This record gives sequence, structure tokens and C-alpha cells, in this order.
Amino acid sequence: MSPQPQAAVGAPLSRVDGRLKVTGKARYAAEFDVDGAVHAVIVDASIGRGRITSLDTRDAEKHPGVLRVISHRNAPKLPYRDNSGSNNLPGRRLRVFQDDRVLFHGQPVAVVVATTLEAAQHGASLVKVEYDAEQPSTDLHEGKPDKPTNYARGDADAGLASSAVRLDLRYRLARNHHNPMEPHATIARWDGNKVTVWDKTQWVMGTRDEIAAVFDLPADAVRVINPFVGGGFGSGLRCWPHTIVAAVAARETKRPVKLVLSRRQMYFGTGFRPTYEYRLRLGSDRRGRLTAATHDIDAETSSYETFTEGVMAPGQMLYSMPHVSQTYRTVPLDVNTPIWMRGPGFASASFVIESAMDELAHKLGVDPIELRRRNEPSEDEAKNLPFSTRRLRECYTVGAREFGWDRRNPRPRSTRDGDWLVGLGMAAGVYDPGRFPAQARARLHADGTAVVEAAATDMGPGTYTSQTQVAADALGLTMRTVTFRLGDSLYPQTGPHGGSSTMASVGSAVVDACNKVRQQAIRLAVEDEESPLHGVPADDVVVRNGRLHVRGTPARGETYRSLLARHSRSHLEARGNYAGPPTPERNSYNAYNATFAEVAVDATLGLVRVRRMLGVYDAGRIISPKLAESQAIGGIVGGIGTALLEHTVTDHRDGRIVNANLADYLVPVNADVPQVRAIYLDGEDNAGNSLGVKGLGEVVQVGVAAAIGNAVFNATGRRVRELPITAEALL
Amino acid sequence: MHPFSFTKAANTRDALDAGRHGGRYIAGGTTLVDLMRETVERPETLVDISDLPLRDVTVAERGGLRIGALVTMSEAAAHPKVRSLYPVISQALELSASAQLRNMATIGGNIMQRTRCTYFRDVTADCNKREPGSGCAALKGFNRTHAILGTSDACVATHPSDAAVAFAALEARVHLLGPDGERQVPFADFLLRPGNTPNREQALRRGELITGLEVPALPRPLKSGYLKVRDRQSYEFALTSAAVALHVRGGVIREAKVAAGGVGTVPWKLPAVERHLVGQRPSDALWAAAAERARDGARPLRHNRFKVELLKRTVERQLRVVGGSK
Repeated sequence: MSPQPQAAVGAPLSRVDGRLKVTGKARYAAEFDVDGAVHAVIVDASIGRGRITSLDTRDAEKHPGVLRVISHRNAPKLPYRDNSGSNNLPGRRLRVFQDDRVLFHGQPVAVVVATTLEAAQHGASLVKVEYDAEQPSTDLHEGKPDKPTNYARGDADAGLASSAVRLDLRYRLARNHHNPMEPHATIARWDGNKVTVWDKTQWVMGTRDEIAAVFDLPADAVRVINPFVGGGFGSGLRCWPHTIVAAVAARETKRPVKLVLSRRQMYFGTGFRPTYEYRLRLGSDRRGRLTAATHDIDAETSSYETFTEGVMAPGQMLYSMPHVSQTYRTVPLDVNTPIWMRGPGFASASFVIESAMDELAHKLGVDPIELRRRNEPSEDEAKNLPFSTRRLRECYTVGAREFGWDRRNPRPRSTRDGDWLVGLGMAAGVYDPGRFPAQARARLHADGTAVVEAAATDMGPGTYTSQTQVAADALGLTMRTVTFRLGDSLYPQTGPHGGSSTMASVGSAVVDACNKVRQQAIRLAVEDEESPLHGVPADDVVVRNGRLHVRGTPARGETYRSLLARHSRSHLEARGNYAGPPTPERNSYNAYNATFAEVAVDATLGLVRVRRMLGVYDAGRIISPKLAESQAIGGIVGGIGTALLEHTVTDHRDGRIVNANLADYLVPVNADVPQVRAIYLDGEDNAGNSLGVKGLGEVVQVGVAAAIGNAVFNATGRRVRELPITAEALL
Repeated sequence: MHPFSFTKAANTRDALDAGRHGGRYIAGGTTLVDLMRETVERPETLVDISDLPLRDVTVAERGGLRIGALVTMSEAAAHPKVRSLYPVISQALELSASAQLRNMATIGGNIMQRTRCTYFRDVTADCNKREPGSGCAALKGFNRTHAILGTSDACVATHPSDAAVAFAALEARVHLLGPDGERQVPFADFLLRPGNTPNREQALRRGELITGLEVPALPRPLKSGYLKVRDRQSYEFALTSAAVALHVRGGVIREAKVAAGGVGTVPWKLPAVERHLVGQRPSDALWAAAAERARDGARPLRHNRFKVELLKRTVERQLRVVGGSK
């Protein structure tokens, strides 16, 4: 097969769906006009744990427009078939309206369906619920942990005891919520025993399978549609209870039902990045060669499901050291279940490890970058596998040069600008990108245009654009003649849109499908006596701008259109497949970064203001540079939030989320986001997949909080081991 | 949102008539509508007063200013006379909310703003301000942003307005019009401390309408400015803030007007700080000594202890910014 010329891939293109988005024509889940749709509003539990003792719906039912109030008292028994897929977690998933138990503050206890949104909202406020309340347990510090997950190599305790330099550090990381702009929303419509669901999700197939399992339907009785997602960051990786509530309400009222979570409900109706308590003991020799580390990690989970994430991985493979021991304990609490949030696990662990490395560097009087270089492993010491590619050293070199690291004074509190203390910090980041089996379908039409489909998602990174780019090059078409469609469970199936998996997984399937179509066309031409390409070895034919020609001899060839017209073919079609990574894995496959931060801290008021940020990424081949830069900016903004602002506060007296709104849960605004620059190292990682990509949406947030924290230390001499870093820690 | 009726007042007489019968006045609606959506506010009748002729900024005798109640925050902030005579007002307004909100919200509504206490805004939580007698969830709850001054056992919520801090510092007067005619109330008497009745927030009589705010003339030259301290750089309510106006003549401070925000149940005038400044020569030592008095009477809660020190430093900083470093 002749390699196709690369035209679209690697070009800094704007989003193909940009115009739709800025003109309001991109349709999000709640915006579909479904004939006869009525509105549903959930009534949330106002206790943190206990039983519902009475539920008075009379006033609500009397309110004009209210059609039905559904609760555990009148809801149908739902089969809730076992479903180990759909990103369901170990445990027993929350079953909506199946009993009188309240497992967390905000749990759905009833739903009001009405002909207007206003009637449904008011109806919901008229439902009177009484409870037998119990004292909830929501404080990670007080909870009783599950059995731990452990990892060990060498003898960490002995290693630490014999280390010349030792650190023993305790960190606390606040719970974060994804807070995408678009609230979670579902429209459900039943047609007999089939249901169509427009739903904000990052995985239409997962939501399809979960709805099928809950209602005990065959998978093909459920269709999930979701062409646009207004931000996700992981919040759409599962089918949440409200989606089932909407489907129940639609079935019971025999009307299509629209249900949109309020911003407040987003804080308990969907998951979150869990709170962590993390104790790290780190040992090194006097030159800074790491000898041993112990990691004691506690994280919150719900009482009904066990959520875990990749928080152990960085401690195992980011740096070379002979002795490591890790204990990861989930602590079941009376909260709803967490979910992966950008840079899941890795972002939390990296704050701890990279802050500690900065402390060690300071203690030893070694430059933080030099300390990291001295501990660069030659292979993955946990998996005992070679790295596919690992170019962290280059990230350091390029980052130090471009950021002006040599201007950093290693002595804290040594740089002043008026009332501000100025500091520079850096951190390394790593993420192990996911790769999931995926399929795609490509269809080349007689008019020379193509449509490519996969049940993928675009929560904002630019899936539409980047998949169009790889499809266009594989088909030999221009961007404008290729349409990529996603967000429909009728399309060929893919894995979840998360874990930086989409380009490698869906992209590989798209390329496979497009290669097959191109090869069909080439075969048709070279075997056709009427074609100028007749008799040419198929391997010598390339396609460019919709025209097949002999490689190196552009004059000899013909267009797809003439070829298909002559053969009276309405289209050529093929399915592509990506089987996932090889098993067993032959390489340790990770994306890396070095992130740099310059902050100013008001010397007396304790305010931290980020001035400059730079991320340098080893993320393999970059398909869509402009969108990759946007991703990096987004990841850094998210990291600024985690470092300085974001903190979901729970009132442990009753399990209530205190700041369940965007005025009190602070995310960065434009004024908090200074000059941000992203540099992707040129190159590719061909061990991981045929596209040579590594995935970059997650790694861009890993390490950002540590870089900022380390810059705060350099500015002030204060080491803050609790996120977010706020004024009270620096006064 | 609870059902309500809505009328638009064609003139002041109509408005007062509707107000007398229990109608709630609405102008920009940026607070009221928000709280109605949360069902914290459940008015039966709204009276839209945005057509009333209360949109002028005028210079009163001897350089005072009168700002009509319906002047928007952005209009007031940009007004040349406000900018030149009382930068502290412009700055406080411009550091408030977002541009979109400032374009909608009015000066009269701004001082009527209700607290951002998250328990007040969550109808399932106990709150004496929202539901007298139900208790105060914030007192022993999460109270990082709450007040350290002017609190009671019934309520520890802060007044959220920045502009009101400037008005308090400058000793503005609130012009009111009610069924019984016009009256003026000093700013310090207009907003009420919670005491045992945190549900009563303003010294307004039934049906009374704010027609404007009058900022009295102060001797010139007058330097003034507003400092707002907050976690994020924009679009957040103050952790602490300070409004400062100083009249210095012959190297001596003759007039000092100082108030703090983010720390009090009402905008917190700081007379002890003012007294410490008047008659003295500006110096960094004076700023520090005067600012010490800002925290007189502070009663911190579990999560806002830092505000006591931060308040002192905020006032000290802003005295230096306005009065100069010496």
C-alpha cells in the first residue's frame, strides 16, 4: 500500500464545527425539538443519609400543568440487569425510586413531570418529603477505609531507613467538580418498547448499554444521540441516575420527557474528582538519587460503589528508584460516586510527587530540573517494559530555554516587584493514555464526497476536526469533501471518549476504514481497461484531492467521480476496525510534559496570581496543532483552578454541598489566565498505534498544580501542601 | 420559581400605589430574579420601576453628587463626575460582578442586594434571615466567607455590595419616597445589623422606594480609592475590601473616610481608624497603626479567622495606596 500524501494531518486548521457552534446551530442534548416533549424536574433529598418516611405529592399534583409525580411509592420496579460495562463501578449502582433509602444529600427522591418547565419546577418545590435522618459520614478523615490496593518493589521501609535524606510529607487535595458549561440533560422518547435518548454523554454506547440493562431491553431497542457536548472533562463518562429518571418519566407518562439538571444538581447528580489525603515519604542519597518512597493514599468513594483511578501509576514509573511501596485505600462515605476528571489520578498524584521533588531539590540545593534528570529511568521499572517513547529530558531542555528558567533565583523570596513576590516553578507530568477497541464506517459517494461515521464523542477537543483530517488524508480528499459524524449509537461502536483515547482508538479505526475504501477504488481502477490506471500496480497509486494517480506521475490518473460513474456505483463503503493495544503490552506507553509557572504572590495580602505558564509536551504525533494548543490551554486553565480556586465544600453535619453554584465554587475566569504557551515536541510514537499519536487531553493538566505550588514556594518560601492554595495559607 | 404577577409602573405614583399594596419593586432584577429561581424570594407581585425618571447623576451644592436609583452600575462607574470626584465609587463598582451584570443592575438595587451566604440561598438549610427562627446553619457550618463584625447569634452573613462600602465610607444619604412623602436616611442607618431580626435588612417602610443616593461634598483635594481582596481576580465577592478617602492639606490629614467590606453584616464604617488618622501626618507607620483599629470588635468564626488579619492588612494597604508611601 502506497503511503498517502499528508495534507490535512498536521495542518493548523480551525474547527470544522466552529461555525455551527458560534452561530448557535450546533444542537446540544436539551435543544432537540422532540414533538410533544414535556418537562421533568427532580426533587433532591435534603438529608445526607436515612429513610423517606412520608412523601406528600398532593399540592404538586394539583398545580396546573403537572402531569405526574413519580417516587419510590409509585415507580415501576426496574430490572437493573447486571452490567459490568458502561463504566459502571464495582458495587451496587444507585437504583432510582426503587426504595425509601437515602444514600447521600441530593439523591433523587421524586420527579415532577409537567407540561411546562415552570410548572415542573414549581411542582418540585411543592413536594413535601419527610425523613428519618441519620448522621451521614462524609469526612474522608473520619471514614473507615476499604481493604487497600498495594504495590511494592524492593523494601521501601528499609530503603528509607538507610537513605541519607528523608522527607515525610502529608498532602490534602480538595474535591473538584467538572463544571462543564452545558448542564447534563436528557430527552427520552419511547416508541413501544424502544427508546430514543438524547443525552449529554461522553459515551453513547455506554449509555445505550446501561439503559438497556436497567430496563432489561435488547441493546438495539435503545438509541442514544449526542452530536455535541458543551464540555465534559469526564463528567459524561457514565450514565447517571437522572438519565434513567427521564426514561422512567417518559415511560410512565407516555410522553417524551426532557430533564435538565440545574447547576446545583450537577454537584450531586454527577461525579467529581475525589478528595485525597496522601502521605509521601521520600528518600534519596546526598546527590539526589532517589532510593525509596512510600505512598499512603486515601480517597473518598460512595457507600454503594468503589471508584478508583490511576493515582498509583506516577509513583511507580515517573522516576527511577529501587524501593517503592504504595497503599491505596478508598473510604466509603455517604456521598455520590466520584468519576474521572481531567488527568484522573495522575493529576492528583503528580501534585504530591512533584511538590515533594521540589522540596527535595531545595533541601539538597540542586536545581529542580537537574534533580529530575538524575532520576530519569531507562525503562518502566514497574512494568519492566521499555518505554515506547519517553522524551521528558527534551521537554525539560526546551521548557527551560523557552521559559527562561536560568533567570530563576533558587533562593525563595528573592524576587520582588512592588508588593508582589515573584517565583518560578516547574513540574513533570505523565499520563498513560487509554486505547479502546473501536470501529468506523467510511462511505465514498459517487459525487466524490465521503461520510465517515463512528459512535464517538466530541466534548470539545475537536474530534470532528481531527477525525476529518485523518479521514481526508486516508481517502485522498480535501477537508471540505469529507464529513465526519459522531454521537449516535447506531454508528459503529467505540469506547468512551476519555482517557486521551479517542485519536488513537477511533482514529485508527477511521484510517482503517478509509484505507479500505481507497484500496477498493484503486483496485476498481487498475483492473478497469477503461481507466488510465489500468494495469498499474495498486501499490503505486495514490489519491490526492479526490483524484487517483500514479505516484510520481500526477498526469496519469482519474477522479473518484469518473471512476464511480463509469462503474455505475453509487458509493464505495468499508468498515474499519481498531482492536486495541497488543496483549501482553510490549511497551510502556505514556505521554509526558514539563510544565512551568511564574506566579506573583502579594507579600502582605497572600493573593496568588499566575503570570505566565508554559507546557512542553511529548504527546507523539500531533494531528491538529491548533486544537492541540487549545487543549493545552484548557488543561492549564483547569490546573490553575485545581491549584488556586477549586474546592467543593461539604458540610459534614448533614452532607450538604455548601457551594453548589458557580459563584461560590470558583473556576478561573479570563483575568486569572495569563500568558499561556504550549509547545509540542515534533515526533511520533509508532509503537502505540499506527497514527503515531499518544493522546494529549489528559496529560496537559497533569503537573500544572505542582508547577504553580512550586512557584509559590520559590516566591514566598511557603510550602503549601493543601489544595487549593488560598490566601489564608500565605498570610 | 413560585407563580407571581408582574406590572410595570408608568410613573412614580403608580409605583408607590403598587408598593403600598405589597408589590416588590424590581429594576435590573439581577438579585431578585436569581433568588426567585432558587425560591428564596417568593414575591406575589413584582412592580417594574425601570421606566421611572430616576436615571440622572447630578452635581449637588458644593460638589456633592446625587445618583438616581435607576442609574446602572456601569453608567455610574463611567460617569465623568463620579470618576473625577469620587474614584472610590467608580472603582468599587468596576470591581463588582461582571460587565453584563453591571449593565443591568442599578445603584438602588445594588444597595438592596441580599447576602451571598450559601445557606441563605439554599432553601433546604436553616437560615434565620430567610426563615426567622429556623436557626443559622452558617454559625457552625462552612463560614469562610462570612462576617467577623456586626454579627449576632442569629446571623453572620455579610452584606455583599462593594459600592455600598464606598457609600458607607463617604457617609452617603439614601433618598426615599413613600406613601407619606420624601425622607432621607443616613447610609449608616439604612442597612441594619442582624441582631435578632436578620430578616429585616433595611430601614425601609412599607411601599417606600429608593429614589437616589446623595454623596455629600467633601473638602478638596480629596484622594480616594477602593481595594478588593478576593481569591479570583474578577467576578467574585470580596473576602475583604477597603474604601478610603483622604483630604490632606498642609501635610496633615484633615478628613479621613474609611470603611471595609466582606467582613461585616453591613458595610463596615471604621470610625476608630478615621479618628486615628485625622490630624496626623501621612506615614507608613501611621497607616499601620490606624489599620490596627480596623479589627476592633472582630469575632471570627471557625473558617474565617484569617479575615481578622487580612482586614487589617487590606486597610493598611489601601491607606498607603491612597495616602502615599512615606
